[in-house]
Amino acid sequence: MADSSVATAPGGREGRRRAKSAEAAAERSEDQTDALGRRSVELSAFYQGKIETVPKVPVRSLADFALWYTPGVAEVSRAIRSDPDRSFSLTGRWNTIAIVTDGSRVLGLGDIGPRASLPVMEGKALLFKFLGGVDALPIPIQVSSPDQFIATVEAIAPAFGGINLEDIASPKCFGILEELQRRLEIPVWHDDQLGTAAATVAGLLNALELTHRSVDSTRTVLLGAGAANLVTARLLIALGHDPHRLTLVDQKGILHAERDDVDELMLRNPWKYRVALQTNGGGRSGDLASALAGADVLLAASTPQPDTVRPAHVRAMAPGPIVFALANPVPEIWPDVARSAGAAIVATGRSDFPNQVNNSLVFPAVFRGVLDARARAIPDAVVLAAARELAHGAARKGLTAHHLLPTMEEPEVFPEVAAAVGDTAVRLGIARQKRSHDEFLERARAMMGRSSRVVRALARARIIPPMPRAGRRRRPR
Amino acid sequence: MNASNEPNAHASASAPAEGPSVPIHLRPARPPDIPVLVPLLLRLKRLNEEFDPLLKVRDDAAEQAQQLLRANLADPKSVVLAAEGVGPDKDKVVGFVRAVVRERPFYVPEHEGVILDIYLLPLYRRRSVGEYLLREVSAALKGKGAGVVTAEFPAQNEIASRFYAKRGFRPITAIHARSL
Repeated sequence: MADSSVATAPGGREGRRRAKSAEAAAERSEDQTDALGRRSVELSAFYQGKIETVPKVPVRSLADFALWYTPGVAEVSRAIRSDPDRSFSLTGRWNTIAIVTDGSRVLGLGDIGPRASLPVMEGKALLFKFLGGVDALPIPIQVSSPDQFIATVEAIAPAFGGINLEDIASPKCFGILEELQRRLEIPVWHDDQLGTAAATVAGLLNALELTHRSVDSTRTVLLGAGAANLVTARLLIALGHDPHRLTLVDQKGILHAERDDVDELMLRNPWKYRVALQTNGGGRSGDLASALAGADVLLAASTPQPDTVRPAHVRAMAPGPIVFALANPVPEIWPDVARSAGAAIVATGRSDFPNQVNNSLVFPAVFRGVLDARARAIPDAVVLAAARELAHGAARKGLTAHHLLPTMEEPEVFPEVAAAVGDTAVRLGIARQKRSHDEFLERARAMMGRSSRVVRALARARIIPPMPRAGRRRRPR
Repeated sequence: MNASNEPNAHASASAPAEGPSVPIHLRPARPPDIPVLVPLLLRLKRLNEEFDPLLKVRDDAAEQAQQLLRANLADPKSVVLAAEGVGPDKDKVVGFVRAVVRERPFYVPEHEGVILDIYLLPLYRRRSVGEYLLREVSAALKGKGAGVVTAEFPAQNEIASRFYAKRGFRPITAIHARSL
């Protein structure tokens, strides 16, 4: 990794200095990742899971179970049987979602299977609860086909107000999401497609604003044609980006309608095939360099691999280009290298650089919004509403080249995003529960604030034991 | 290679409905078209490769394609039509259809027009072009004495199955294979 960072830098003493700093950053980040990994295993052994179920009703004595359980509960069941939508008001369904994965593409680890994916899904559930006030159940499933995946999720859907699909390999994730969205009457979301795309679009809207560009006259190159970028392309087109001024590039070069593998794509990845036909007007072909010549924007969401984007690529772009290098943990080009090659604005997927394009800015708020609206679906218009509100949120605090997006330290933005999502669901007629903007906002603030209060209270009461010092292996009682 | 024995297939030439105008110009192929027809034919054969390992494309497929097309163009029983684009693609061959009339020694009608290949570049698909190609090639085959039109394509090519089924075709013979 370090060697190839050297190759990315321009020549001369300045170039070597920058290369050194990139190299050091890469090494630092590797060391850090190792240390965090060790600590994470230690803490996992200590806490043995990150979430648990806790009652939310008083239990004064066992006699109360005649209300919470049989015989009283039968009447609640009857009520839901005669009006299934009452499952949203008489049970916890309104605030409960399933995080479902087959473990086929977990983080950068690949196809590690459902069991090994559980710690990741637990972490996601914790994020959902802590940031969004959402009760999320991690449900890794052992399935052997997309059809079985779909049937399984459909079978468990009655318990949930929404489904979050997680870490499913591309391209099967597209068909699974489409089919579940078609079949279920609750929102189905795939974070690797929609969350990443929404955060990217939000950052891009502000980057365009800052560089006095407009989405309908921009030329954009997307590097990587996986889950996130295919959806980013779709969302950009929905926002008015001319599809002919969008070019996707993958390992085989520019994606275009006459590429040699296009018939294979038609069979194996019709989503990518459709984008191949729709984009790259003028029929450019060739590699990343040919795609980038004169482009305003590069949105790179490729397989993490350093040196994917070189300074010469950035220099070949239009003056003052926008570069999003979103591969994690190693961005396609280091931010300082991109800036010295002329990039006006740089964003990455990392929290240790400015402008982190982060799913966590999106999914807790989106789910807060759709759950509060008891929405039946989550169409692209809702995703775009979230992206726009996220962009506004950053702008309210002052837009600069280093502040394109809110950071995780600006939680006041999240209820606003949730409210925008709720509003849009009502406007589109897919909300079971209609509320005003202020009601959505109030509710989102209350729900999101409550979770961190609960965690603090449990910690104060030592129900959540304090973190042991590193190296200790005491287990909680 | 004998045209009547080769396994053939069709790319997605599906057209949802007859459009107001078809964005191509169809004409009989000529020997100077062969260099542009060969890559299109190979694209189709490589697509077939996706459906079955027994449809693996030979290393010398390009030369074979060239010879075959040359023979087809000289053969009065063959029909090869070239589809040219319009607008910026004017004069560019964007697809083709290749067919042959075969005798049916045991059945009536006595002559069968067999569509061996239909290929269209992706941007020309789903715009009623396939439908138009099918209509035109059927007419040409009828003109050469065929009383029935058939189409050969890989059994697993569901896109082609749907395309023909929608237009009144039904399976009448099946070719099953295993390696030796």
